Amino acid sequence: MSKTRTNEEWLYDLKASGTAQEAAIADLRNILLRAVLFLFSRNLGDFGGLARNEILQIAEDCAQEALIAVMNHLSDFRGDSKFTTWVYKFAINIALMTARRERWKGASLDQPSFSDNGAPFEWMMRDKSPELAPDQSAMQGEVREIIQEVIEHDLTDKQRRVLLMMVFNEVPMDEVVQRLGTNRNAIYKTLHDARRKLKNGLQARGFEVGEMLTLFSAQR
Amino acid sequence: MKRDRFENWLRNIYETEEEEISCTECFDLVSRFVELEASGENAVAKMPQVKLHLNQCQACRDEYETLRELRRLEDEGGTPSLDDLQDLIR
Repeated sequence: MSKTRTNEEWLYDLKASGTAQEAAIADLRNILLRAVLFLFSRNLGDFGGLARNEILQIAEDCAQEALIAVMNHLSDFRGDSKFTTWVYKFAINIALMTARRERWKGASLDQPSFSDNGAPFEWMMRDKSPELAPDQSAMQGEVREIIQEVIEHDLTDKQRRVLLMMVFNEVPMDEVVQRLGTNRNAIYKTLHDARRKLKNGLQARGFEVGEMLTLFSAQR
Repeated sequence: MKRDRFENWLRNIYETEEEEISCTECFDLVSRFVELEASGENAVAKMPQVKLHLNQCQACRDEYETLRELRRLEDEGGTPSLDDLQDLIR
């Protein structure tokens, strides 16, 4: 049975030596493994064809990786949360990334919309609400056209590519990160820059995004 | 793109700020954010940048939601045992 520790006791024991440290590491590993399994149990669909013992082994590997991450970052713990809350996030981060990777293993991202210049935005022309009054429908059409124009003219190739993958084709961030050989921060920045350009570009063309939102969400 | 998704995306554009924190910064701060929430404090008012990032970033939001749930289970007597969790994997 694991010992219950305060934040201070966790830090003290993990930095100790001998049996105190061994016991603390064993308890920490147990906590991390439970967090990983908790997350896996909620995302079993990601592991499609894998057998139970394979999934359990992957969970063990994630827990081990999380344990190393926690030990390497111990000095970053500021005590502004429970120690267990702080360690959970390492386990969750690694476990979710692993589950997503498993789900997308072998999936092709080379959908037609990636290379074709016109097709990506076809979606915006579809899915019109039949119940719309003609003038509303026309306004929505105009909004869609202007968004398409900003995407095509204001964004860089990279911004357009990441936007297409993540927003239009719903590829998860970690999969994009892996395919492009980059990291989350860089992808977030790319998307952030794209959003800023879209917001400014729409404004420069006389469209307020807030009004657009009202136009689309009022008609439910 | 489905209508709901398109609307959410428009909202994301609308709520875009000049400065937003990175995923690494969000990871660093999210445990405090969850802790504030767990103790009934107004985490959004105290850490608006974290909330903004979570609204914009699905990857960080997924992690945050699991973290929040694990934190809540702790308050309710702890996360399930290893045996119980392993039984859920099949």
